[in-house]
Amino acid sequence: MNMIEFKNVAKVYEDKTVALKNVNLTIKKGEFVFLVGPSGSGKSTIIKLLIREIAATSGSIFVAGRNISNLKFSRVPQLRRNIGSVFQDFKLLPNKTVFENIAFALEVIGKPSYMIKVQVPQVLKLVGLEHKLVSYPHQLSAGEQQRVSIARAFVNRPPILLADEPTGNLDPVNSDGIMKLLSRINLIGTTVAMATHDRSIVNSMRRRVIELEEGEVIRDQKRGVYGI
Amino acid sequence: MFFTAITTVAITLFIVGFFLIIIYDVQGVLASVKSQVEVAVYLKDNITVELKTYLENEIKGWNEVAEVIYVSKDAALEKFKTENAGSEILKEIQGNPLPASFEIRLKSPEKVDQIALRFVAKDGSYIEGVDEVIYGQNYVQKIFSITAIAGSIAFLIIIILLLAAVVLIFNTIRLSIHSRRKEIEVMKLVGATNWFVRIPFIFEGFFEGFVGSAISAVLLYFITNYLLIKGETALADTMHIKDLAILGSSNIMLYIYVGMVIIGSLLGVLSSAFALKRYVRI
Repeated sequence: MNMIEFKNVAKVYEDKTVALKNVNLTIKKGEFVFLVGPSGSGKSTIIKLLIREIAATSGSIFVAGRNISNLKFSRVPQLRRNIGSVFQDFKLLPNKTVFENIAFALEVIGKPSYMIKVQVPQVLKLVGLEHKLVSYPHQLSAGEQQRVSIARAFVNRPPILLADEPTGNLDPVNSDGIMKLLSRINLIGTTVAMATHDRSIVNSMRRRVIELEEGEVIRDQKRGVYGI
Repeated sequence: MFFTAITTVAITLFIVGFFLIIIYDVQGVLASVKSQVEVAVYLKDNITVELKTYLENEIKGWNEVAEVIYVSKDAALEKFKTENAGSEILKEIQGNPLPASFEIRLKSPEKVDQIALRFVAKDGSYIEGVDEVIYGQNYVQKIFSITAIAGSIAFLIIIILLLAAVVLIFNTIRLSIHSRRKEIEVMKLVGATNWFVRIPFIFEGFFEGFVGSAISAVLLYFITNYLLIKGETALADTMHIKDLAILGSSNIMLYIYVGMVIIGSLLGVLSSAFALKRYVRI
């Protein structure tokens, strides 16, 4: 089934910058897709549109078959609970411990605390940080913080995981670890879409590559490489 | 930021409360002084008993008069000796140079001019039997006008201070929430509804307002009970003022403390709610 569909989507920002011109793309359930392209090509815009941080100027966007283009404000939280997102700056809550950061994602959907106490250590084990439950973000390395971020994005087992330059602030070794994690998550069945500049990662993994340039899709390759 | 908000609330509300008390006390002092205004009618030594009795009854009959006390020459001398005990001046006195007098206390101190005039004859001299009428002519009118002006100024000051407190508290809490907008962004990213995000912040605003105002109330309590009252009783003694209305020791203080805490808590909640509106809209 189609997990993500963009139909003739255009996005023009208030200051008249054209972020996306006429984007058509389809991502099927369980796929792992790289979104590549230079800065300003529209990669981050696609991700922002999917989590409804911004709305498309024209066209339709479907997530799991539902048109989110005209989604009511009140329904956006629900959309976001079904899409795990990971960013370059980790976006962890600085005043909460690792446990509390991940637990928060469960609290917002009303999970009872006895379930939270089980699920959080479980997902931390998945990312290899089960011993860092009570640490604060500032006590962790960049690589560890990103893994906590991924754990939080994944704890609700969302059908989609979006990553916007997740390895942007990491060294090659840590980047490698993060990519292995994302691959494992994808293997379980999660649809993964990742925007990245990281040439070596894209080239080594040989997954589907969608290349953007100035707001348009110029390449969509099944086992692709970064580019010329 | 948490600490800043609490101290801002504490300090601003303390200042408002402190000024409220000072102004109330100043008003109280002025009111006491007003009520102490007496008319002293000094009688001639040769006044007949009939005339003295006639005058006394006349004065008692006036509506404006609260009390009339006749002080005889002897009584006046005794009082003088007591007040100036041990002083050189007692040795100088031969006989009794002090006059008898009527001490008149008024119900409406503003009418003191009129009362004094009643002892003045058509030709401008004092009526028979009366030597002189003293009522602090010079400063009484000044006191009345000062009291009226002071009242208006006091009201204005309180309003301004209260406004300043509101603005300060609001801004401090607003800054605190502004500095945590990334946090709010993350909460929304993970799928929290607006209310889920708002409630902890609103509660925090309430807490900051409550604790800050409670601290200022406690501080005020100590200041009024130890400093102000000591100062006021000293003032009362030196000025020979009786029944000084000392706010610090009255029951109104309890209402003021509770009022401060309520206002502080309310300000905290409202400030948070308004500040959040800017950052928790999608």
